[in-house]
Amino acid sequence: MKKTLYQIFITFFKVGTLLLGGGYVILPLLQSELVDKKKWIDDDELCEYYALGQSVPGIIAANTAIFVGYKLKKTPGAIVATLGIVMPAFISIILVAKILEEVVKMKFVQSIFWGVGIGVVVLIYLAVKEMWKKSVVDKFTCWIFFITFTLSACFKAPPAALIILSIFIGIWLQYQKKIEYGDKEE
Amino acid sequence: MIYLKLFLEFFHIGLFSFGGGYATLPFLYHIADVQKWYTTKELSDMIAISSVTPGPVGVNVATFAGFKTAGILGSFIATASVILPSLILIIIISKLLEQFKHNKYVRSVIYMLKPTGCGLLAAVGVDMFINNINICGMILLAGLFVASLTEKRDPLFYLGVSALVGLVAGFFNLTG
Repeated sequence: MKKTLYQIFITFFKVGTLLLGGGYVILPLLQSELVDKKKWIDDDELCEYYALGQSVPGIIAANTAIFVGYKLKKTPGAIVATLGIVMPAFISIILVAKILEEVVKMKFVQSIFWGVGIGVVVLIYLAVKEMWKKSVVDKFTCWIFFITFTLSACFKAPPAALIILSIFIGIWLQYQKKIEYGDKEE
Repeated sequence: MIYLKLFLEFFHIGLFSFGGGYATLPFLYHIADVQKWYTTKELSDMIAISSVTPGPVGVNVATFAGFKTAGILGSFIATASVILPSLILIIIISKLLEQFKHNKYVRSVIYMLKPTGCGLLAAVGVDMFINNINICGMILLAGLFVASLTEKRDPLFYLGVSALVGLVAGFFNLTG
């Protein structure tokens, strides 16, 4: 398949449409579209972009798409890949939000949302569990987790302040050569 | 000027959230606290809807929050500005990919950021738990928790079951 900007857009639009729930499903979706069907990149490259996508701020699914888009067609490729992956999300929410404003006042809808609010707590718990596996790799990161948690939950510290603080600690740790990397690669 | 404020808030979410779509939630939660554009209860509804609509949850939630705050133009600004930092950063990083991957400082910062993002999200989860729970909710939560232990299930499963329980509980006036 030819790598035109239009093709890149359509491919990521399709992936964006099929993407339900957390961003974790993007890997198998991209595998089938980009590696198996289109043969634009190979499996190793995709996994590398996925890992890199997690080490850059922002939404992992979008980050992965931007990396792949850039690889295919430089900056224009990155831009159309972004548009493709974001558009389905944008359109579906606009449609739903308009309808929702009307129906949300009904009593039975309120009851459904009450239940779903509890479902969301479970989804967050699952996301934390997933992130924990990848992030809390030793005693030190475990401390970081609990300190961040306490500052955020009990003292309402702004998230950005905590992120910036941990960026500085990360740089300082490396500067002091306090950490050694053995098997810390993603 | 609400649009400029929206742009700044969501740009900073895109720039500072590490660990995927759910990592944007602590920021959106903070916005609910500080800016009062929407309530934390409304945010929880938005997350639920975002989990069942096409697209990455992080993008869905940003679009939704933008819509709540300032209509369609608001949702456009929120979506664009949450994605913009990623786009700019990745285009730059792609040009220097090899240096970026093996840089010790980069790896050290990421080593720090991952547990931080995880801790932030856990705090949101606990806060939502405390804010929305009653006896009936505790039972539902316990049930879903047990279900999550047995096998890996789709988010749709949890939302479907809890929506159904909510509907029935509402019928018997148990949703308090």
